[in-house]
Parts: sequence; structure tokens; C-alpha cells
Amino acid sequence: MRTLGLIRRGTPAASHDLWTQLEARMHAADDVVRVALPALGWREAAALAVAIGTVAVVPDPLRFLVASGLC
Amino acid sequence: MLRRRELLAYLVGAGIAGTILVGPYVLRVVGVGIFMPGARVPVVPIVLLPILWGAWNLLWARRHPPMSIGSWGAVLGLGAATGINAYLWAAGLWFRAAAALFVFMPTIYWLFWRLVVGPLNDAVGVEGERA
Repeated sequence: MRTLGLIRRGTPAASHDLWTQLEARMHAADDVVRVALPALGWREAAALAVAIGTVAVVPDPLRFLVASGLC
Repeated sequence: MLRRRELLAYLVGAGIAGTILVGPYVLRVVGVGIFMPGARVPVVPIVLLPILWGAWNLLWARRHPPMSIGSWGAVLGLGAATGINAYLWAAGLWFRAAAALFVFMPTIYWLFWRLVVGPLNDAVGVEGERA
């Protein structure tokens, strides 16, 4: 009896008004866009090193970059 | 039938590539004008980049291939390197360093797709409900 009383007091009554909940969720989701960038690790560093190294090694870097479409 | 998230995927890819195009259009004018005045510069059809990136991202959203989005981008980079080399060869502008594009393009594309396209896809819900 005591345990049952504790459980009844500890859990609030569930709200059954789903429309209000959905509306609030839609408004909250619509206003903020969260962009979560992946953690930068050794793979990103290696890729960056390869890219920079390639530009550094080629004989005509500017022409190379122009051909790549990045410059 | 085009789903909403597929259209979003196209717009994300096309939007990012369209923004990146600022680089070629601005840097080329400055860089070539200063460092290579009067040089015969290979002009590749980079105006197609937004369409390519958009279509590639749409394919990603539709097919969801069993690879990371970075690798998916690297495959596009490899295709772009092949296309650019073929174009330069056909136009008689091919130079030896252009072969290094086969390393450079997939690497750069991997970085862009992993660090920019993937997170934006997540943010706008392209990665949400998969078919």
C-alpha cells in the first residue's frame, strides 16, 4: 500500500493532448537547424595532407587547381 | 516519384556546389591575372558542378549505398577527375600534372562530402526516414 502510494505520487499524469505536443515539437523543430560536424580525426588530417601535398608536388600548381575546378 | 527528402538532397548538393563555385570565379580572375597573365588556362565546364552534386546527393538519398557519404563523394570525385582528364585530352589542353587529379579530386571530394554535405543532410532531414 505504501509502495503503491509512492508510485502514484512519483509519476505525473500523462498528457493526452497530442496535438499540443505535436504543434510545440513542429515549432521547435522549424526554428533551429542543428548542424553536427563530425569529429576531426587522423583520416581528415591525412586527406588534407594528401590534398596539400599533391598541390605542392605538381609542377604547375595554379594550372592544376584551375583544371580541378577549385580555382 | 520524387520524395521530399530526395528533393532536399538535390538542393543541398546543388547549393553547396553552387557556393563553392565562388572560388573558381573569384580566385581564377585574381590568381590567373596576377600569376599567369596571358597564359592559356584550361577552362573546365565547372558550371555543371551544382547539377552533378545535386544529382549525386539525390542518388545517395534514394539508393542509400552501403558506404559512408564521404566515400560516396570520393566516387564522384573520381568520376569528375576522369571527366576533366577526358575533356582536357579532347580539347588538346592535357598536361602531365592533370593525372594527379585522380588522387586530388577524390580526396577533396571525400573531405567536402564528409564535413559539409553529410552534416547538412543530417540537419535538414535527408538522412531521416529511409525507404
